Amino acid sequence: MAGVPVTTKEKIEDLKQRDAAAQLGGGEKRIEAQHAKGKMTARERIEALLDKDTFEEFDRFVVHRCNDFGMEKNKIPGDGVVTGHGKINGRQVFVFSQDFTVFGGSLSGPFGEKVCKVMDLAVKAGAPMIGLNDSGGARIQEGVVSLGSYGEIFRRNVLSSGVVPQISAIMGPCAGGAVYSPAITDFIFMVDQTSYMHITGPAVIKSVTGEEVTSEDVGGAKVHNNKSGVAQFMAKSDEECLEQIRTLLSYLPSNWEEKPPEKHTGDPASRLSPELDEFIPDSPKMPYNMKKLIKTVVDTGSFFEVAKGWGKNMITAFARFGGMSVGIVANNPMQLAGCLDIDASRKCSRFVRFCDAFNIPVVTFVDVPGFLPGLQQEYGGIITHGSKVIYAYCEATVPLVTVITRKAYGGAYDVMGSKHHGADINFAYPTAEVAVMGPEGAVNIVFRKELAAAEDKASAYEELVSEYRSKFASPYRAAELGYIDEIILPSQTRGKVIRALEALKNKRTFRPVRRHGNVPL
Amino acid sequence: MAEIKAPMGGKVIKVSVNVGDSIAEDDEVAVLEAMKMEMPILSEEDGTVAEVKVEAGQTVEAEQVLVVLN
Repeated sequence: MAGVPVTTKEKIEDLKQRDAAAQLGGGEKRIEAQHAKGKMTARERIEALLDKDTFEEFDRFVVHRCNDFGMEKNKIPGDGVVTGHGKINGRQVFVFSQDFTVFGGSLSGPFGEKVCKVMDLAVKAGAPMIGLNDSGGARIQEGVVSLGSYGEIFRRNVLSSGVVPQISAIMGPCAGGAVYSPAITDFIFMVDQTSYMHITGPAVIKSVTGEEVTSEDVGGAKVHNNKSGVAQFMAKSDEECLEQIRTLLSYLPSNWEEKPPEKHTGDPASRLSPELDEFIPDSPKMPYNMKKLIKTVVDTGSFFEVAKGWGKNMITAFARFGGMSVGIVANNPMQLAGCLDIDASRKCSRFVRFCDAFNIPVVTFVDVPGFLPGLQQEYGGIITHGSKVIYAYCEATVPLVTVITRKAYGGAYDVMGSKHHGADINFAYPTAEVAVMGPEGAVNIVFRKELAAAEDKASAYEELVSEYRSKFASPYRAAELGYIDEIILPSQTRGKVIRALEALKNKRTFRPVRRHGNVPL
Repeated sequence: MAEIKAPMGGKVIKVSVNVGDSIAEDDEVAVLEAMKMEMPILSEEDGTVAEVKVEAGQTVEAEQVLVVLN
């Protein structure tokens, strides 16, 4: 029979040809179309993501088993997803990359089996799982098989959660049920203008409500990074997105049993920041740049912000202190006065729980006047969402270090990494104001009678406010009670935090035996 | 036309622009006081001030339009 390889040489040639054919995915034309949209192909993305020549592929010859709708005549090796493993900065990762050039990257039964295979291996090997999404959704011809496959993937996402870091990049369409796999993973990256995520797309929205919108309006990178909070990172191009993933992984351990890798930059722990002694404004009403403060004290160049565009009144970031990877949580006095609200609470609690799952200490910088007042917040369930922050800190067993830079008022004081919620070492600047409420409000309540009786109400009020401020709007009451371990000069922050983290390196705590707690989700 | 809105309810303590001023992204258009904090309200884009909808001393609600840009 002509064409059937018989000799060893022919068999080797045959394999090479099959491999080469599989490399082309959906063929030259579709690859061109992919490039024309400004997107890389599934294989190009893997190459850019991983260290050079480290990719090992599985299941290159998998094809679908669908015999309906003429699909039996249309089989493409790989079936729309490239899977395997490789290294990032020398560390093992597993990866799948959906191939939009093959059946629009749509998910079939065998496609799902390929994804599940690498997900299972990632957990067994204790290595991060990275999914690059670019898919039209379920492969309709496959019918319910495709739904079964999605379900298998979701369940693995859930069971892998907190075992290995799971990272998703949305680099094309990701619609309908397909969104739930990335949603369960730890972080979502999106490429601006070429990616979108939504449950119901423009066509469905138009048929139901009559609104005319684009996919970009419904679920583009900006929507999910700035409005919904579904995604945490946004990139201008595929290349930038993949580079961001590499950066993120540099802060994370490979699995829950490991500590995050240390990376020393040569920035000495003893470095003082004299500029910080003049940084906090004299007036407690004036905002200041908290990000600048943080960047001044962490290892030079190690600030990697998470969810930058959403819940901006809360800052979350990965950084390093003396080479040690940490999660930074901070109020941002430049946004909404630094108040806690629903978005900020959700952002903070999910971040703290991620850090806790992966042995990453949390360093909290506090300047919070309280919870954001308003009907919108109350009706939106700020009670439930705010309690998530409490839950996350109280539950955490990683080292917790807190620095109160200025305001720590009311319930928000408790919430933001206080001693009472299990923080290990708590510092405050001399500019800190730790009290049950601000002087203006407190005076109205505590001295109601005196104020009513006073002849010159305005001056009595001023006098009482200033008396209250000097007595209570300081860190010293809290320090007398041991709620603050040390009042430090702002210029000393870096060294103090590093020595606290070193002291806590082998922290261990025990939790009551139970099935699991009931987070106020 | 771009509207610059109050991010939260509070008191306008300063209006920093006048109709006709041309401003750049991140320029301060007003200062709001809420939760005993002063909050500079910054423009998110370049433009010319077409309308100033509030004055100093006025109380505003969240999402209320402060300044309209051309």
